Parts: sequence; C-alpha cells; structure tokens
Amino acid sequence: MKKIAVLFASAIVAFSGLAGLAHAEDKPVEIRVAYSGAGTGGRPLSSGTIVATAHLRGLLEQEFKADGIKVKWSFFPGAGPATNEAFANKLVDFAYHGDLPLVVGRATGLKHKILLSLGRFGNTYFMVPSDSEAKTLADLKGKRIATFKGTAGQLTLNRVLEKYGFTEKDFKVISMDGDTAKAALATKDIDGYITTPFDLEARGIAKRLLEIKRDPKVTSVGTFWVSEEFEAKYPQIVQRVVTTLVKEAQWDSDEKNRDALFKLWGQAGSTPYSDYVKTWAGYTLKERNSPLLDDYYVASLKKAVDEAKRFRLTRSNVDINGWLEPKYLNQALKDLKLENYWQANDADGNVKK
Amino acid sequence: MHTSKHWLGAGLIALAGTAGAAAPSNEDLQKQIQALQQAVDALKQQLQAKTNEAAAAPAAVAAATDAEPVEVATKQDIDGIRADLENYKYDQQRNRDTKTALTKRALTLAGTVQVRASSQSQQTTSGTTATAEPRHTTFDVPSVLLNLSGSLFKDYSEGKNLDYKIGFSYAKNVNSGSVLATVAPNGSQLNLTDAYLVYSFFPTVAGLEEPKLTATFGQQQIPFGLEAQAAEELRPVINSAQFVNASGVGNRQIGLILRGDYDPYVDYGFNYRAPLIEYALGIVNGSSTNKLDDNGDQDYLARLAFTLPVDYNSWLRELKFGASYYKGTKNLVATPTIGAGAGTATLRATGKSDRYGVDIYYNHDPIGFTYEQVEGRDDLLINTTQAATTRKGREVSSRGQTFTGFYTWGQQWVKSYKGQAKYDDWWPTSYQAFVRWDKWDPNLDVGKDDTTIYTLGLNVFFAETTKLQVNLNQYHYGNPVLKTNNELLAQFQYGF
Repeated sequence: MKKIAVLFASAIVAFSGLAGLAHAEDKPVEIRVAYSGAGTGGRPLSSGTIVATAHLRGLLEQEFKADGIKVKWSFFPGAGPATNEAFANKLVDFAYHGDLPLVVGRATGLKHKILLSLGRFGNTYFMVPSDSEAKTLADLKGKRIATFKGTAGQLTLNRVLEKYGFTEKDFKVISMDGDTAKAALATKDIDGYITTPFDLEARGIAKRLLEIKRDPKVTSVGTFWVSEEFEAKYPQIVQRVVTTLVKEAQWDSDEKNRDALFKLWGQAGSTPYSDYVKTWAGYTLKERNSPLLDDYYVASLKKAVDEAKRFRLTRSNVDINGWLEPKYLNQALKDLKLENYWQANDADGNVKK
Repeated sequence: MHTSKHWLGAGLIALAGTAGAAAPSNEDLQKQIQALQQAVDALKQQLQAKTNEAAAAPAAVAAATDAEPVEVATKQDIDGIRADLENYKYDQQRNRDTKTALTKRALTLAGTVQVRASSQSQQTTSGTTATAEPRHTTFDVPSVLLNLSGSLFKDYSEGKNLDYKIGFSYAKNVNSGSVLATVAPNGSQLNLTDAYLVYSFFPTVAGLEEPKLTATFGQQQIPFGLEAQAAEELRPVINSAQFVNASGVGNRQIGLILRGDYDPYVDYGFNYRAPLIEYALGIVNGSSTNKLDDNGDQDYLARLAFTLPVDYNSWLRELKFGASYYKGTKNLVATPTIGAGAGTATLRATGKSDRYGVDIYYNHDPIGFTYEQVEGRDDLLINTTQAATTRKGREVSSRGQTFTGFYTWGQQWVKSYKGQAKYDDWWPTSYQAFVRWDKWDPNLDVGKDDTTIYTLGLNVFFAETTKLQVNLNQYHYGNPVLKTNNELLAQFQYGF
C-alpha cells in the first residue's frame, strides 16, 4: 500500500509539472480572446463591434491557421465583470471591454495594454413600460431602474441621470442583464431601462421616455486590449491580431457592407437587425467603427476614469499614462495604407480639423 | 433631374419662339446663346450639388445603387408563417399535456449519486448483515440523494421569495439490530433529510450590495463550521472529517434558523461579493432528524464569520474567519445492574452537550485551504451501572481538528469562465489535488484513544455535475493494539 501511496503522489506531482509547461514555446499554442457579452440564450457570439464581426467571419482563425495557432473565444453573458474575473485568473490574452469594467479592472491591478478603440457614438434611449404615466425622469424618482451593474451600461445610466440633474440615489437601481431587463419591462417589474427601442415598441411592451441623439459626452467608447504578459512575450502575434482587426474595421466601415454587417450582428439576437438599421441611421459606418486611439478616445477614457470615481463605482485611482499602446495600430494603418481612412475626432467628438 | 428638364425645355421653347419671328439680329442671337450658356451652367451646378449630396450621404447612395432588390412578403408568405405558428402552438400544448411532468408549483428536481470501489489493507466484515468472510475490497453505492426545491411565492419585484426544499437520502439496512435489517437485510430505505421553508426578509434582486436575511423553518443542516454545513456534493474529500459525525454537528436538526449578512463588500468590476459579517442564530430540537424533541429543553446555535473586505484581485480574497457555538441538552440514560429497574435503560437526568468551533477558510484559485477545530463538552453520569444515580461526573471533552490544503488546475472555480456561452455540453475539465490531516480525540482526558487520518486525494471534474474522486487514506490509531490501516477509495459522484 505504501508503494501505491508513493505512486499516487508521484502522479500528482508529475501532472502538476506538466501543467506548467503549456506555454514554453516561441509562439502561443492558442490565442484566448474574451468578449464581454454573448448572444441571446447563452450562444457564443455577439454583435456591435469589429471584434464581433471578426469572430463571425473567422478572420483571426484564417490569419493563424497556417501557424497552427488556435483562436479560443470566450463569450461571457456576465459581460465586462466576467471578463475581469477570467483575466484575473490568467485565462485571457485579448479582450473587448466597455469603459467601466475596464477602468475598475485597472484600478484593482489588472495589467493590460490598450490596442484599439471599438465603437463610439450613437443614440441613447430611455425606455419605460408602454403604460407608464411618466413624462420625465423626475416622474420615476424612487422607482426601479434596471442596469447591468459593473458594465459600461451603468456608467451610461449615471451620465444620463446626471445630465438631467439626478443620481442613482434618486431611484432604486437594480442589476439585470439585457435580456432579463427587457422581459422585466414587459412584465412591468421595472420602471425604466436604457436600451434600443424599436423591437420593444413593435411588440407594444415599452415606449421611449427620452431619446438623446448623438451626445459624445453620454455615449462611451469600447476598448480592445492585450495582457501585458502576452504583449511582452509575443509582440509579433499582437501585431498580426491588430492588423487583422484593422482590416476587419475597414470592412465594417465600408458602406457597401452596411446591410451585410447588420445581418451578421443580428444573429446574436440581443439587438435585432431592424434595431441596428434604425439606430445606426444618420451615422456613417466609418465614424462609428473607427479603431483610432484619437483625442476623443483618450478624452472619453479619462472621463470614464473620473466618473467611475465620482459616481463611487470604484475605490481606487487610475493613471492612464502608459496604458495605451498605439504602436501596433499605427503599424497596421501604415501596412494597410489606411493612415487617412478614418477621420480622427477631437476631445468633443467632432471631426478633427 | 426634373429641374434640369425644365431648364432645357425653356431653352428650346425660347429657341423655337425666335425661329418663327423675323430673322434675329446678331445681338439677339448673342443674347440667346448667353441664355443657353447660363442654363447649361445652372444644370452643371445642380448636377454638382447632387453629386456632393450623394458623397455626404454614402449610405443613401449605397442603398440606392448597391442594395439588394427589395423583397416584399406576400399574403401567401404571411399565411405560411401563421400556419407554422399555429402548428407550433398546437405542438407545444400537446407536448405539455402528454409528455411533460407537471407540478402545482415550480419545481427543481435534483439528485446526487456516489458509486465507489474501495480497498483496504486490514480485512473487515463491517457494513453487511450477511454472514461474511472478511474482505479487503468491495464495490459500494454509499450515497444517493434526491432533492426537490422551488418557490412557493415568487416576489418578482423585490425577490422576497418564500422557497421550499424536500430532500431524501438512501440508506442501507446494515444495522443487524434494526427491525428493517431483520425484515430486509439487504434492502434500503429512503429517509427524509431536508424539509423546510425559507423566506427572504430583504430584497434579493436589488444588487450585490444589499444585505441578506433569511429564516429557515423545518429540518435542515445547521450553520456550524465549514464542512458540516456544506452540501454533500460540494465536499472535496470522499469521507467527511471525523468530527462531523462524531460530534454530531453534521446532523440535520428540526427548528428555526436565521441566516444573514451585514455590510457586504462589493466589487462590481468582478461581480464579487464578500459580506463583512455573516451571522446565524437558531433554535432546534437537538434530537437530530425525523424525531420530536426528546427532552424539555431546546438547543440553541449561533455562528459569526468575518471575511476580509478586499477587492477580487487581492491575494487576500476569500479569507474568512468563523466561530460557531451550539448549546445542546442531552438525556443521560443509565441501565442499572442492581436494584429496581435493573437491566432497563432509564432516563436519569439531562446534561449539557455543547459544541464550540473555530474555522479559517481561504480560497484563491488555484490554491486554498481550510482549517477547523471543534470541541465538544458533554455531561455524563458518574457511573451508569449504579442504581438510580443522577449524579454527574466530570464532563467529557472531545476535540476534532482538520486541515485541508488543495491546488487546482482548470477553471472549475472561476464562475465567469464556467458560465461562458457555449453551444454544446461544455465544461472546463479541472483537477484538484489535496492533502488532509484529520484528527479526532473522543475524550481529552483519556490517552491513546485518538484517531488520525492522512488523506492524499485527486478530484477530476470532467462534466458539469460529475467528478471522479480518488482518495488514499491512512488511519493511525492512538491505541497500539489497532494496526495502521491503509485505504484506497475511488468513486464517481454524479448529479442530475
């Protein structure tokens, strides 16, 4: 029996040793990409960004197929906070994040480098149940407003409330994911929620309380980052990932692909095709799918850092110095001859002159 | 384009008008040419304006020039969809009526089963009612649990729900002295384990920052220490720590228990919640499962735990210190050998049966450990063979200690990762190796009566509710007469 004990212990020790050898190569065995969101019904796909399109069109898989590098996607219904949790446990190399979880993760010590901007601008709609008697936000004081706490949606809600002179404390703000909140609007278990309106209105279950058209101070920027560890170890792989995504951004910015793009994104179900058509009307694909880390991106990120602290959504300060790493984007733009393809925005979101 | 046609028409009419009149002078012709030139210039400007407009709104141009031909649904198409919808509704209703288990209220049916193979160095005949030759190895089904749970009242607006649970556990008829073992020596029973209602006093949908408070009424596990209140399917080691059964803190009790927390530390960036204080207070029969109270005193219990208020990303995450107290009353029974009532077990008095516990819990993937110490203090009659004595002797103090350290490979305990979106029945295959030191001393005043078990184990989680467990146990006895026993256990534990 002693022999069995020694054998058993040896097996465990050997197994633990093998587990540590997984990355002892020049190139990674796999590239782990996390997406803060998932399709309706827990399906592994998403929409609304160039990274979502790259997944749907298999661009990264094509890029690394010849090298035998597997691209491993993780779509998290738990959104940005779930991506943070996975990254804290060393399970993520690249990720798409909304502003609030990105800032909170950084504030608690997560180490990543920002590579690309993912999505900007758009309209903001505050929805209430179809039979709501509220005419203004003031009529909802003390009532239940849903948001997915810890995600960019919470910061957007705080900006909207502040714009009209309120704070979260004026309402009962409860946490729900998007699908649950839409269902709760239908059953009138919540009194308000920020989301796209058209499918809810078509079904007659909700109506717009207010609509904020193109206010770059309210909408946020998305971010694509790489872990500092991966970037230090495989810079050439990082460059190929970024170049591939910039190619994708060009496809996503071409008006010829508008309908095809919205059809792809509509597959995820969380925002229907018809809502993409209507909510993106009045915007060019180029301006919303710009990958540039321009003045607007930097100003938006700084604003998110300040707001997260001011709205008491994080406890620690965040210094953005050294956080952005634009060299991969600049190289990709140069290689693809796209230096002037997207127009940079100034800090206020206007086209930079 | 319409405007340009008007300008062109006007120019031609002007030309035609002049053609029927007297021959124009050179000056008139010059003027007409100038007018025509102006008309052409205006047309050019409009064309340029249209081109600029189109360039400014590429979407509109793209839609006009490159969009696919518009397809309009016909009445037949819509009728087809209606027919499909009606068929679907019929199908749903028929399946619900004939192929679905229906319940009066929402019900979750769940179970846990263990199937095991074991081998030990010391031969034994224990665990069977048959006339048996001593064995070294056997196969076994040590545990089957069946649980039904749901909500009796679901508060959609605030989550102050009234929930229920009923649980059953299979047990073998192995005790040769029991009636059941006599009637069906190789049979089994299904014993009631859990039967309770639980009500949430505080809202449960408001968010992680809200404190919790529930009242649980009925038969339930008691909030004592760590291992005793962990559900069977969550325990890392095949066999429970010795003190769980020996001290009785693992017994379910019937009564009312409040459980809550205060001032939770919330890190929304990670969906992490760590209540600063967790507390529990309860009053129970103290006579274990499926029994009325067997004395005039109730038993009381209390637990307090403190978790460090740190961010998820801190290395001190999930470091918790707890203390538990159980004030019990036990019946002191004596079977006198002389005098009236000789040979009959008789209640002589009641005495205390208290339990004190402290515990530490730390779980920061991939490493973690738990430590628990439980001490029991029990009254005993001074001499149970004396006639009619009610005098209590010196109380008996018992003590159990357990340390478990583990290391994990895989994502079994990363909530977000195992909850990620997937099409198929995916689960992150994980491995957990652990060591345990488990000591139980039933009487601190008596020497050489302790038992220490060293365990080396591996858990392999290869499906959502299924794991393979391999434990190598080595039993050391304080009593030198008893030989050290080595035991190898391998079991699948699966849930549904």
